[in-house]
Amino acid sequence: MAVQTVPRTTTPPGPPPPRRRRRDGQARAAWLFLLPSFIGFAVFTAGPVLAAGVISLLDWNLFSPPTFAGLDNFWRLGDDPTFWSALVNTGYFTLASVPLTIAVSLALALLLNRGLRRIAVFRSLLLLPYATITVAVAFVWIWLYIPTGGLVNAVLGLVGIDGPAWLISDTWAMPALILMSVWKGFGFGMVVFLAGLQAIPQQLYEAARVDGASPWQSFRSVTIPMLSPSFFFVIVTSIIGSFQVFDQALIMTNGGPGTGTTTLVMYIYRTGFENYEQGYAAAQSLVLFAFIAVITGIQFLLQRRLVHYDN
Amino acid sequence: MPHRLTRRDLLKVAALTGLLAGCGSRPDGAATWSMWSSSPEEAEVWANFSQYVEQRLGVRSVPNLTPSNGYPTKLDLQLVSGTASLVTAINGQLLPTYAARGALRPLDDLIAADPDFDADDFYPPIRAISSFAGRPYMVGFDVAPNVLYVNKTLLAERGIDAPSLTEPMTWARFRELAIELSAPPDRYGFTSAPDIDNLISWIYCAGGNVMNADATAGALDEPEAMEAFDFLVGLFVRDKVTPPITSLVPTNARANFMEGNVAFMQNGPWQVVNVRKAEFEWDIVPFPAGPAGSMPRVSGSGFAIPAAVGGADLELAWTLLKTLTSTGALNIYAGAGRNNPARYSAGSAFQPPPANVGIVQRILAGEIAGGHPFEVTTNWNQIKQMLDQDLPRGFLGQLTPAEVVAGLTPRLDVLMTQHQDNVRLAELRK
Repeated sequence: MAVQTVPRTTTPPGPPPPRRRRRDGQARAAWLFLLPSFIGFAVFTAGPVLAAGVISLLDWNLFSPPTFAGLDNFWRLGDDPTFWSALVNTGYFTLASVPLTIAVSLALALLLNRGLRRIAVFRSLLLLPYATITVAVAFVWIWLYIPTGGLVNAVLGLVGIDGPAWLISDTWAMPALILMSVWKGFGFGMVVFLAGLQAIPQQLYEAARVDGASPWQSFRSVTIPMLSPSFFFVIVTSIIGSFQVFDQALIMTNGGPGTGTTTLVMYIYRTGFENYEQGYAAAQSLVLFAFIAVITGIQFLLQRRLVHYDN
Repeated sequence: MPHRLTRRDLLKVAALTGLLAGCGSRPDGAATWSMWSSSPEEAEVWANFSQYVEQRLGVRSVPNLTPSNGYPTKLDLQLVSGTASLVTAINGQLLPTYAARGALRPLDDLIAADPDFDADDFYPPIRAISSFAGRPYMVGFDVAPNVLYVNKTLLAERGIDAPSLTEPMTWARFRELAIELSAPPDRYGFTSAPDIDNLISWIYCAGGNVMNADATAGALDEPEAMEAFDFLVGLFVRDKVTPPITSLVPTNARANFMEGNVAFMQNGPWQVVNVRKAEFEWDIVPFPAGPAGSMPRVSGSGFAIPAAVGGADLELAWTLLKTLTSTGALNIYAGAGRNNPARYSAGSAFQPPPANVGIVQRILAGEIAGGHPFEVTTNWNQIKQMLDQDLPRGFLGQLTPAEVVAGLTPRLDVLMTQHQDNVRLAELRK
C-alpha cells in the first residue's frame, strides 16, 4: 500500500494575533514617551560625565588649546591641602547634617501624623523653608547669626549662654552652616515621612496593641520597619545633597575662616571657573562622583537587608 | 481632538530651533559689545552709549549687558564658544588673566596704525593697568584711586578740624584721629573691608607689594608689607576703632559709613554716587601717607577685543572700541557720575558734593599725593581667593599678622611660580 505523503506546507506568516500587536504598540509608545528623558539624560547627565572624564586628562585653561596631561590632575589631588580640607569639611557637614535633618523631619512628621487640627496649614508652614531659595535663606541666617544683636545669640542670652561669633569662628562656622541647612532641609524629609506614616495599615498597630505592645514597642516594631523605604529614600537623597553643598557656604562664610567651611563643590567651582583649571576641576568632580557612587552603592547593598517593602 | 505631527509642524520646530541657536551667535554687521550692568541707572548709561555708537558709526549697536557678578562667567563662555561681542568690557584686575591665556587680542598694531588714536590722552595708571607683558590689551574707560571719605559732621561735633584736602595725613595722625573719634559701640573712627583689595593700598603706601619686583615670589613677608598689614590690623584688633566684623562675606564698609557713626572710610570714588544719599556732611581727602607716601591702589576698567575677532570684523571692532572710549562717550559716562573717566579730555564724572571731588583727577594726573596701579598676576583670582580666605584671621585677631603671612607665603610662592609659567606660555604663544 502506497503511503501517500502529504507535503508539509508552511503556513504563510499572517498578521500577529491582536494581543501581541497591542503589546508591541504599547512598547513603542512607552519608548516614545521615555525618549525625551533618555535624550535629556544622555545630553545633560551622561554626556557631561563622559566629558568630565575626558577633560580630567587634559591641561586646559578654557581659552588656549588643551594639552594631554594623563593622570597628572589626579596625582595632583594628593598634594593639594585645600582639596583634602574641602573633602573633610564636606564629610563633616554630611555626617552631622544628614542624621540631624532626618531626626527633625521624622519628629515633625510623627507630630503632624497625630491628627492635628489644621494639619494642612502646619504642613505648609513647615514646608516653607524647603520651598524658599537657599540664597534668600542664607542672607536671613547671616543676620540671625550676628554676634551682637542677632536673634540666635539673643535667644541663647535668655538662658544665660554667651553665644559665639558664629560665622567667623573656627569652631562654630561649620555648625552654624549645618544648623541652617537642617532648618532649610527638614521639610523635604518631613513630607516623605508623613506620606510613609499615612500609608502604614492601622491593622498593624491594632494587632500590636492586642499583643500588649507599648507605644515605644509599637514605634520600634511597626513604624520604623514600615518606614524603612522612606528612610532609605531620604538618607540616599540627603547624603547626595550634602555632598553637593555649595550655595549656603559660599554666601554665609565664603568658605572661611581660612578654608574651614570650603566644601568640595565650592572648590571645584573655583578651580574650574575662577582659576581656569578645567582639567583639575574635572578630576576633582570625578573623585566627588566616585565618593557619592560608592556611598550610594553601599546603601543599595544594605537596602536588601534593612529595608522592608510591604509586597 | 488629537493633533497629528505633520511635516509642516516639524519644519516649524526646526525653524524655531535654528532661531534659538542663532540667538547665541553674533549678528553680522552690528556693533556688538559686552558690558556689566547691575542697576537701571547703569543700564541707562549704556543705552546712551549705544545711541552714541549708532550715531557715530551708522551701524546697529547691540549692547550685551550682564549683571556684574555673573559677567566674568558669561564672558568666559562667550569667548570659548566664539560668541563673544566684537568688543568686551574687562576689569583691570582680570586683564592679565585673559591676556596671558590668549583670550584677548593685543592692540599695539591697531594703535600704531591709527593716527587718530591719542594714547597720551589717557591717565598713566590706566595705561599701565591696560597692558600685559608690555603690550596694550585694552583701552580704559574708567580709572580711580582709593581715597579717604570723611564724615565732616562727626568731626565737627567732636570739635576736630577736617583733614587737609590736599596734603595727606600721616599714618600716625590718622590713627590718632581714629582713636580719638572712636567710642564703641556708638561711634567708630574708621571702616574698611578686611580684604586684599583694601589692604593693598596700605601696602603700597608702605613701599611694599604682594609680589617682588619681577613677580617671581611673594613679598608679603617683606618688612614694608608687614608694617602695613600690622598697622591696619592694629586699627581693628588693638585700637578697636573699626566696627566689629560679624561676617566673612565682604563687609560692607559703605553701609557702616552711611549709618553716620563712622569718621573715616577707605573706598574708591565710585562710591560717591551712593554716599550722596548720606544724611551728614562729608568729603573726600587723599589717602593717608605711609613711609612711601600716599600711594593708594588705582583700579580701572576698559574695553578689549577678543582674540577670535579678525578679518572684516576687526576693523569694525577697533572703530567701535575707539568710539566707546572716545571723549564723547566718556563725557556721557562722566555725566552719569558713576566713576572717573579714563581720559584727561573727558569731563569730571562728579559734580559736588563732595566739594573736593576734583582731587581724583589731580591724583591721577600726579599733581597731588599719588597712586599706584593695582599690580596683579595672571592667576590673580587664585591669589585673591587665598588671601581673602586667610587675611581675615589677622583682622579678627585669631592669628597675628606674622602668623598669617608665615602661613600664606609658601602657597603664595607656588602661585607666583604658576604665574611665571603662565607668562612663559603666553610668550611662547606669540
